[in-house]
Amino acid sequence: MRITASAAQRRAVSLALLVCSLGMSHNAFAHEQTGIAGGLTSGFMHPLTGLDHLVAMVAVGLWGAQLGAPAIWVLPITFPLVMAVGGVLGVLGIPLPLPELFISLSALVLGAVVAARARWPFAAACAVVAVFAIFHGYAHGAELPRAANPLAYGVGFVVATGLLHLCGIAIGTLTRSPTGQRGVQALGAAIAVLGGYFLVRTLAGVS
Amino acid sequence: MKRLLSRVAMAIIPLLAASSAHGHIVGARLGDFYSGALHPLTDLQDVLLWIALGLLAASLGASRSRWLVLVLPLGLIAGLASALDLHREAGGPLTSAVMMVVTGVVLAAGIRINAIVLSLLALVVAVVRGIANAGGIAPETDPTLFGAGVAASGYVAITLVTAAVLAFREYGGAEQSPRWRTIALRACGSWMAAIGLMLGGFALAS
Repeated sequence: MRITASAAQRRAVSLALLVCSLGMSHNAFAHEQTGIAGGLTSGFMHPLTGLDHLVAMVAVGLWGAQLGAPAIWVLPITFPLVMAVGGVLGVLGIPLPLPELFISLSALVLGAVVAARARWPFAAACAVVAVFAIFHGYAHGAELPRAANPLAYGVGFVVATGLLHLCGIAIGTLTRSPTGQRGVQALGAAIAVLGGYFLVRTLAGVS
Repeated sequence: MKRLLSRVAMAIIPLLAASSAHGHIVGARLGDFYSGALHPLTDLQDVLLWIALGLLAASLGASRSRWLVLVLPLGLIAGLASALDLHREAGGPLTSAVMMVVTGVVLAAGIRINAIVLSLLALVVAVVRGIANAGGIAPETDPTLFGAGVAASGYVAITLVTAAVLAFREYGGAEQSPRWRTIALRACGSWMAAIGLMLGGFALAS
C-alpha cells in the first residue's frame, strides 16, 4: 500500500495525540464530585443576587440585635435549621402556597418591625421568623436539584444566609448609641419599602 | 587508541542506558498513598463530616477531643478493610446526611456528650466514610498504601480542625473566652445540620 506524505503526517499526528492522551491520563476516582466550584458559587450567590432574600436575611439579624439576648444568638442558630426544612420541601417538590408572596411579605414585615423597634415576645418573634425561613428555604431548595453539585449548592446558600445574618447583627450593634439606633430603624424602613415594592410586583404578577 | 575507544564506549553506554530521573516518589509505587490521601478530599461529604466532627470535639474541650486523633484514622482503615474483605457498602448520601444532622444538632444544641459517645460517633462516621472511600481502589491499586493515605488524610484533617477550633475557643484563656465564640461554634453546628437536611432531602428525591 502506497502511503502519501500527507497520510503519513496524519498518522504521525494521530499517533502523537494517542500517546499524549495516554501520558496525560490520571488515576480513576470513584467519587462523582464534579462541579463543586460551580455548585458552591451558584448556591452562595443565590441569596446574594436575590434582593428580596438579601434584605430579609439582613433584617433578621437587625431584629435579633435589637431584641438582644436570647434572640440575638437563638435566631442565627435556629434559622438555618428551619430554613433547611423549607429547603427539603422544595427539593422534594412538595408545593407551598404562594412562596414568592411570602418572601416579599417577609421583607415588608421584618423591615417594619425593625423600623418600629418592635419588642415582640421572644416566642412570637421566633414563630414569625420561622414561618418566613421556611419560605426562603423553599425557594433555595427548589433550585438545588438543578445545581452543578447539589451538596456544594447547599453549602453555598447556607453559608451565604448565615453571613447575611452576621451582617445584620454587626450593623445591629449600632443600636448601642441613639444615633446608631435611628440609623438601624431607617435601614429597617428602607427594607420595608423594598418589601412593599416586591409585594406589589408579586401581586401584579410581574416576575 | 583501543583503550581510548573502549573508555568512550564505557562512558556512552551508561548514558544511553540511563532512565529518566524520578524526583517524585510517585514513581516508586507510593502514588497509591497519595491517591488515598487525596481521595477523601475530593468528596465534600468527607470534608464536611470531618470538619463537623472536629468542631463538635473541640467544643467539648481538649480532653474529650484528643481521642478522635486515634479513632478517626483507625475507623477509616476499618471501613476500608471491611469494604474489601467483607464487601460492605456505604449507605450513600442519605447515611452521610443523617450523620451530618446528628453531629450538627448535637453541636448546635450545646449537648455535652462524653468522650465515649463522641468516640462512638466518630467511629461510625469513620467506618462509613472508609467504606465509601474503598470505591477509589482500582484493581491495580495497592490497598495498603491507599488505606494508609486515607488514614493519614483523616488524621491530619481532624488534628488541624480540632486544634484550630480549640485555639479559637480558648484564645486568651478558657475562662476569659467570650460567649460569642461558643455561639459562633453552635451556629456552625446549625449550618452543618442544615446542609445535612438538604443533602438528605436530595438523596430522598433522587
